[in-house]
Amino acid sequence: MVNRAKIKELMNESACSHSKDKKPGEGCDMPKPGLAAGGCAFDGAQISLFPYADAVHLVHGPQTCLGASWETRETLSSYEGRDHTYMGFTTGITTNDVIFGGDKRLEDSINYVMKHYAPEAIFVYSTCVTAMVGDDIDMTCKLASENHGVPVVPVHAPGFVGGKNLGSRLAGEAVLEHLIGTKEPEKLTPYDINLIGDYNVTGDMWQYLPLFEKIGIRVLSSMSGDGRVGDIRGAHRAKLNVIVCAKSLVTLCRKMQEQYDIPWISVSFYGKRDTTFAIREIVKALGDAKLIAKAEEVIAQEEAKLERDLLPYRELFAGKKAVLNTGGNKAWSIASGLQDLGVEVVATSIRKSTADDIEKAREYLGENGVLMKAPASEQAKVIDERGAHILLAGGRSLYTAIKKKISFIDVNQEKKVSYGGYNGLLNLAEDLKYAFANPVFANVSKKAPWEMV
Amino acid sequence: MEASYQGTDERIELSKKEHKPLQVNPIKHSQPMGAALAFMGIQNCMPLMHASQGCASYTKVFYTRHFNEPIPMYNTSVSDITAVLDGGDYSILMAIENITKKNKTMKPELIGLHTTGLTETKGDDVRSVGTHIEIPYCYVNTPDYEGGMESGWALTAKALIKQHTKESREIKPNKLLILPNVSMQPVEVEKLKEFCEGFGFETLALPDLSTSLDGYLSEGQGKLGTGAISIEDIYELANSGTVVTVGESMKIVADALLEKNSNITHLHFKHLMGQDMSDNFVASLMKIRQIEPRPLVKRWRGRLQDAMLDSHFLIGSSHFVVTGEPDMCVGMCELLQSVGGTIDAVVSTTYSPVLETIDASHVFVGDLEDALKHFQKADLVISNFHAERLLHTQEKETALVLRGFPNYEELGNQLKNDLLYEGSTQFLFEIANALRKVKHQH
Repeated sequence: MVNRAKIKELMNESACSHSKDKKPGEGCDMPKPGLAAGGCAFDGAQISLFPYADAVHLVHGPQTCLGASWETRETLSSYEGRDHTYMGFTTGITTNDVIFGGDKRLEDSINYVMKHYAPEAIFVYSTCVTAMVGDDIDMTCKLASENHGVPVVPVHAPGFVGGKNLGSRLAGEAVLEHLIGTKEPEKLTPYDINLIGDYNVTGDMWQYLPLFEKIGIRVLSSMSGDGRVGDIRGAHRAKLNVIVCAKSLVTLCRKMQEQYDIPWISVSFYGKRDTTFAIREIVKALGDAKLIAKAEEVIAQEEAKLERDLLPYRELFAGKKAVLNTGGNKAWSIASGLQDLGVEVVATSIRKSTADDIEKAREYLGENGVLMKAPASEQAKVIDERGAHILLAGGRSLYTAIKKKISFIDVNQEKKVSYGGYNGLLNLAEDLKYAFANPVFANVSKKAPWEMV
Repeated sequence: MEASYQGTDERIELSKKEHKPLQVNPIKHSQPMGAALAFMGIQNCMPLMHASQGCASYTKVFYTRHFNEPIPMYNTSVSDITAVLDGGDYSILMAIENITKKNKTMKPELIGLHTTGLTETKGDDVRSVGTHIEIPYCYVNTPDYEGGMESGWALTAKALIKQHTKESREIKPNKLLILPNVSMQPVEVEKLKEFCEGFGFETLALPDLSTSLDGYLSEGQGKLGTGAISIEDIYELANSGTVVTVGESMKIVADALLEKNSNITHLHFKHLMGQDMSDNFVASLMKIRQIEPRPLVKRWRGRLQDAMLDSHFLIGSSHFVVTGEPDMCVGMCELLQSVGGTIDAVVSTTYSPVLETIDASHVFVGDLEDALKHFQKADLVISNFHAERLLHTQEKETALVLRGFPNYEELGNQLKNDLLYEGSTQFLFEIANALRKVKHQH
């Protein structure tokens, strides 16, 4: 069941940089009525686990939870069996279950899934309603696990306990408690790592995994992009945990360090500098001189190739200035990518950034870069003052671009191609090339005949 | 990729009872989502979902991606603590205060509050909160463990009338109210209103999405509902001469209105697709107004007939599966059947008595797992976008026409018109063209 002590612990994560600015015990903010936007804990838990294509994700709740969320994320998988990430499973409880409890329905549903789909595991998600009516999901899962001989993992992240981030942490707890350390890997190498927090959206991971292969770094398991449940069960044997662009799963990494003595590092694979930096950090942490040398060789090759490929774009983008308005680590990671392409980033948003993110943004943008605290009201002015040519922001900023008659890229929109790794830069470059050339924003800013007088 | 299990070999009967303990690849959407959409169809309404933040977030993303529009959507952010300690008043009042404080320029003219599974389970009484608010307030009970999107939408329209429409004994003979079902896209409401105006009616629709989510470029969207009907209009609805319900689900709304004034004439149409239904509709309007339709209406009837003849060969030799909300399915089936199409199966989101009227080999409430077996034999499937990937995994090439919520892949969903002579004409062409691609290319 939902564990308040655990939630309190997760809200006060010592390894999270957000906690630095808080008083002891204060923890993450609780949602204020009317002002909490964005996904709930269940959403976060689902995002963190859903990429396991060999598992079935069974949502024990009423219709909204899964009905509105399945098949919404482009988390790609190379799994050759039946890919369950494109499917939705829900108990879709009805009034009867609210009154009499939904345990029987859940049990029947698990049996149904095992009979017809025989997945490697089942994740069972509790939701607000089933948590509140007090279904004994733990017991149902335990019995089902024994009965069917596969892990049936209860995930206790009902929406009302908090936001996405907390849910993602709770998913980490479920994996740590029920999966990690339950199976020995078939094969081990001295260069085994776990990838934590990359969900392989639009194939982001596939941009850098070939580099790992060239260097000799082996991914033992992933939580959870293109992941397999069987692999995460042996994750306790890895030499290193690599957390990618995510703050929510630091708790998992910290606990794995405490329980299994696995060190962890946090990296990003956006842009050339970050990718190179990430690879160097990983091989340094693995601490093998040969591996480090091989990594340098691969980096040199890849960077040289990328430089050649980027040359035409650099010429095209020379003198172009961009304003970036997006949240969290994207504030500097996309900035880094733009700079690699020769675009000058004159301003970025730090509205939702941690102290670490702000520091990094300052470092990337330099002294003259504008760090916008209230981008919604500042960005139009900055565009004028600095003569920016493009605005990269969420859909709400579309009008700023139209009014200023400059190009626009919606960075929050579901993207169809990956910007990750070295080659992702070429995708970003292509998108930029078309955006700079597109006259649509200037065109729709034109006045109608009846507005001309 | 491995093929998926294709549901039971046993025949699934049409029933209010479920035939299995879970849904696999669901097509059903929740009541709160229908309620939220209905409130977006009211002018300057603040749709407020009494829920944890996730319910509203999912709903917002769902409609944002379907309509490609900013979506006004607020929530009371119920937490595990308020779920136990608060009876609803605190979260709702604080939410309204916080939202209006944060958006000082925003002037809501109606608070549209609706519940969810969470807040119904905890048993909040949301009726009396309104007495503490200066802004007009409408509440609807829409747990998502009951009904579906279609009923959530209808219950909201009903609540608006029950709680806000003033009783009347007078009627304005020329005033007509349309009660559209949830599957009608913004342009369909607009076309229908225009059609009635063509007969000289002063026409309103409730809810009215024709000026909300209709893909219109303007600034400051996504704060409040921008529907074409205001709360002032809703107060005065009981003097309508005629009320038109489109879809079985909307009958309860008309009943609520007739309680306010029994002199109103109620015209019910289970759908408005195809020649027969359009003819009935036109005949009814002609009878009331005692005038002929405009020349263009007559012209479109001729075009529909021509389209029926042009498309009958392709459609008449084809097998179809239709999935979606009951009120949408029934219209599409009857239109396709009117040109000889064979409906193999109708897979509905929820039970509705109107499903009993559909003449097809299989009609039942289910999900896409159940539908898969029927997809294998069909020439064309009408479904939401979730069917697309499933069809890609099967060997046989089956055409797909996307209708219903959600459609995350195509653009311009709000401007797809399938109603009356004109919309039916375009629909038949779209179906025939989609069939042509799979049937004649080899």
